[in-house]
Amino acid sequence: MSELSAIGVDVGSTSWKAVVIDSTGTIRESLVMATHPVIDKQTREGLEKLCQMANITKKLPIGATGYGRKKVEATRALTEITCHARGAASLAGKEGTLIDIGGQDTKVIRFAKDGKVEDFAMNDKCAAGTGRFLEVLLNRLQVPYDEVTEMVAQTDRAVPVSSTCTVFAESEVISLVSEGESVPAILNGVHHSLAFRVSSLLGRQGQDRQLFMSGGVALNEAMAAMLTRSLEKSVMVLPQPQLVGALGAALSVL
Amino acid sequence: MNRNAYIDEQKGKFQRKALAVLPIYYPKEILTALDILSVELWGPPGPPRGADVGRVQAYVCALVRNALAFIAAKGVDKADGLLFPHTCDSIQGLASVVADMGGWEKPIFNYVHPKGELRPSAKRFVTEELGALVAELEAFGGQSLEPSRLKEAIELHREIDAVKDTLRIRRKFLPQNDSQLYQTLRRGEYLWPEEHLQELQALQKDLGNDVAQNGVPLLLSGIVPEPMDIFEHLNAAGAFVAADDYAAIGRRIIGTRMDTNANMDSLVDDRFAAPPCSTLSSDPKSRLHFLDKLLELSGAKGVIMHTIAFCEPELFDIPAIKVHLEKRNIPLLMLETEMESECSGPTITRIEAFVEMVESYRSAA
Amino acid sequence: MITRRVQYEVVKRAVAPIVTNFETWQKRTKRLLKGKKSKPPFGPPLESVQKLKSLMTRHYLEGRYADGAVPVAWVTSGFPVEILRAMGFHTVYPENHAALCGVQRLVPDLSSAAEEAGYSRSLCSYARTDIGSVLTGNTPVGRLPKPDILACCTNICQTVLYWYRSLANEFGVPLVLIDTPFVYRKMRQHDASYVGDQIKELIAAAEKVTGKRFSTEKLVEVLSLSTESTRLWGECLEASRSKPAPWTGIDGFFHIAPIVTMRGSHACNAYYRHLRDELQHRAKNGIGGIVKEKHRLLWDNLPIWFGVRDLSNQLAQNDFNIVVTTYTNAWAEAGRRMDPKRPYESINEAYTRVLLNENLEARLELMSRLCKEYSVDGVLLHSDRSCKPYSVGQVDIKDQLAKKLGVKVLLLEADHNDPRAFAQEQASNRLQAFMESFE
Repeated sequence: MSELSAIGVDVGSTSWKAVVIDSTGTIRESLVMATHPVIDKQTREGLEKLCQMANITKKLPIGATGYGRKKVEATRALTEITCHARGAASLAGKEGTLIDIGGQDTKVIRFAKDGKVEDFAMNDKCAAGTGRFLEVLLNRLQVPYDEVTEMVAQTDRAVPVSSTCTVFAESEVISLVSEGESVPAILNGVHHSLAFRVSSLLGRQGQDRQLFMSGGVALNEAMAAMLTRSLEKSVMVLPQPQLVGALGAALSVL
Repeated sequence: MNRNAYIDEQKGKFQRKALAVLPIYYPKEILTALDILSVELWGPPGPPRGADVGRVQAYVCALVRNALAFIAAKGVDKADGLLFPHTCDSIQGLASVVADMGGWEKPIFNYVHPKGELRPSAKRFVTEELGALVAELEAFGGQSLEPSRLKEAIELHREIDAVKDTLRIRRKFLPQNDSQLYQTLRRGEYLWPEEHLQELQALQKDLGNDVAQNGVPLLLSGIVPEPMDIFEHLNAAGAFVAADDYAAIGRRIIGTRMDTNANMDSLVDDRFAAPPCSTLSSDPKSRLHFLDKLLELSGAKGVIMHTIAFCEPELFDIPAIKVHLEKRNIPLLMLETEMESECSGPTITRIEAFVEMVESYRSAA
Repeated sequence: MITRRVQYEVVKRAVAPIVTNFETWQKRTKRLLKGKKSKPPFGPPLESVQKLKSLMTRHYLEGRYADGAVPVAWVTSGFPVEILRAMGFHTVYPENHAALCGVQRLVPDLSSAAEEAGYSRSLCSYARTDIGSVLTGNTPVGRLPKPDILACCTNICQTVLYWYRSLANEFGVPLVLIDTPFVYRKMRQHDASYVGDQIKELIAAAEKVTGKRFSTEKLVEVLSLSTESTRLWGECLEASRSKPAPWTGIDGFFHIAPIVTMRGSHACNAYYRHLRDELQHRAKNGIGGIVKEKHRLLWDNLPIWFGVRDLSNQLAQNDFNIVVTTYTNAWAEAGRRMDPKRPYESINEAYTRVLLNENLEARLELMSRLCKEYSVDGVLLHSDRSCKPYSVGQVDIKDQLAKKLGVKVLLLEADHNDPRAFAQEQASNRLQAFMESFE
């Protein structure tokens, strides 16, 4: 077994993630928690716990990323764009374009085989097109996250949800339900709407490359399927999609 | 001394009239020759405040929205008059709102500059428009425009341009960081030109023979560098501004002139000798050519197009610039801000990620 | 070249009329069998609509064969087109074409193509529609002829210049510019000289493209027709001074197409004569655009092309009619300054002193005048996200109109062509509440 060599921390706006990797760059242990406003305290305690879980006794270099990265006592702090590219390239084993749908923002990153960023785009001005969009609407439809995949499979029909804004989309969904539209069909429409926004952000960056997906929303199989359908290109979900950023951060200090 | 106190001093000590000027292009030489202090109004940055905030819709650029709110809230009351160049549809609208719908009781002047390339019709129009403006400003300033005074003023502004041009070309030999450099450059928006020249010359003295800037060299293009803390974040991320194509700064530096005369005719020629700008409706090809020249001279390794949300003229130039830079393999970051008082978290992340990206290519090369 | 020219003329003179007349004959027969009836809340449909459809179908059908046959110009709506018409150009109006795309809800797709090429979504939706159409080749009118020249006049906005410059790069053809100085207070001598000089430059450019010499005689001929076109259009609009108005403001948005795209042609004038006669007949006999006209509105700014039907229905159902709009009225106003006896001077003035090229004081005066002439008791200001020159100042205009004339005013946020910038539910609610406030 390779020696444990580095730690990566991704302090996102919704979730806090950390990984321990070995000298080959493989994730050996990980920890995910909801982000707490007092970042330094959470990070200290989280890393302590992680080290316990992985039986780490010596001091390892720490790479930090995410919006709270500057609050971490790290060996190196890099943006989540650079770290996601690193992590994705490591997991994919080749060049590609990464679609990361996070809780509050969505990123598209074109990366080289060695993990270098070639181009990137971010949607962080509004909630539409991010995990928040899905969260708000699932809540409105009273569908728990773990039932989404099953429900979406119930029908091929998708009721269009045309509002560009999350707030207006919420009103629209309420109207649709009261008009008697089926929830699975509305749910399909919601996913389709999110996929459409992602494809706009993707623009031409996704051309002639394999598309990969990361972020919390990637755990939702329906989302990957919907993206594949709407982009008319296969979208591969990376293993342990939430940890891609933390992996990249760890690799940066390996 | 802050801006307001400075204006008071100029009016009190030198009996100069103060004219608040909206962006972008105007014949400053004429104001100087008539002993009128020009105080440029770029925003101000920050959220617009006051009762008149809602008079301009939210989908109009923040520069215009903030200006109206500020003017109506008496923020410009130290000025004796307002000058509106005909920069774009929104400033055109602003000029009319202020003149016709209330918010300003003192004199208002308009300066219409022609759009598009140099044509005989445009040249004749500029000549006559400048003449009309001179007549109005003479009445405003209370003195006639003497040709000798005009000559002096033109030569003074040419000297200022020459120093700015030198600082621009030899930027990497200047030890000051971008925040310091731009503070000085932007004080030219309200300083009496002679004092502005002195400050620029002091900077020029600091130009050394050794390279003083070792960060990632970037070209910045846009309308105005707001929020100003963008330089702090750029520098912190390990980059510096090697080339400037901001309308407020670089696009108003006329480096080479054909005409050595210093009179009304040379002012007309200047209008067509200025660097390309979307608000002048310059041919996109000349804009690309100019950007190439800047890149070459400065050795910049990446470009940041820093646009203001809803700025139609600038946003129309973007597609051609994108294609051009892509072909040349030069990394481009699109950064959109809205005259905030400071950069938002996501903006800072974008800047840092871009610098990381350009740096990784720089070290690989 | 000759074969192409022959094709074009055959289509223009024979095929198109036959095709469209046949359609007209079919529909007329159907109607004769059905009879003219009101469809509450609307009054009987306008007969002229069929003629309008034929006319516009012909125009676009001809267009398919124009390039290579006759010189083609893509023109902005406010351009002094008489100069080009006098030289035999076939004219295409991208704004009209974009509006068609808007009505047919094709804009999100077309705009996406433009956005992918780097055009920001905050740019004018007409421009995005047009550029998207040029980039993809998609158009609901079959095919648009390629331009030999792009003719741009900034009297409606500066955006058209940025837009047409992009087109010039795309097509590799010359751009001819008439840069009309904005009238902040009064039109000045050197403003007129500038426009006059540019018209001379335009003529030189047009002569180069066509290989023909410009004839002032021909210009006078075309200008006489144009003057007649705008006069006739004015008469159509003025019919709505009657109570009830014989047609709706929404009808007006559609019937404006000929004055924009075919001003100065016999076909245009024949059409408006027909429409005017029908409207005057209806006005005389109390036949309204809507059955029960309780309130009369003025509409300001461009139409909401993708939402005209919904808007029309909602207003009519509540007994409201739009009886005058600053948009449709603009073409009638411009015509009042045209004078075939002073062709160059009057073209100069007519095209500089248009609604969007004059200050807000003039606009407010015009709107007040229209409110009085058309006995309006409410105003709808469309705050068009895409159109800065038309929208900046509306907040003040709202207050001034309410204060000066005592009319109720609603500022409605929308966009003229992009449905993605429009919150349907919220807008209908606000409009409903506005209408209820008249009780």
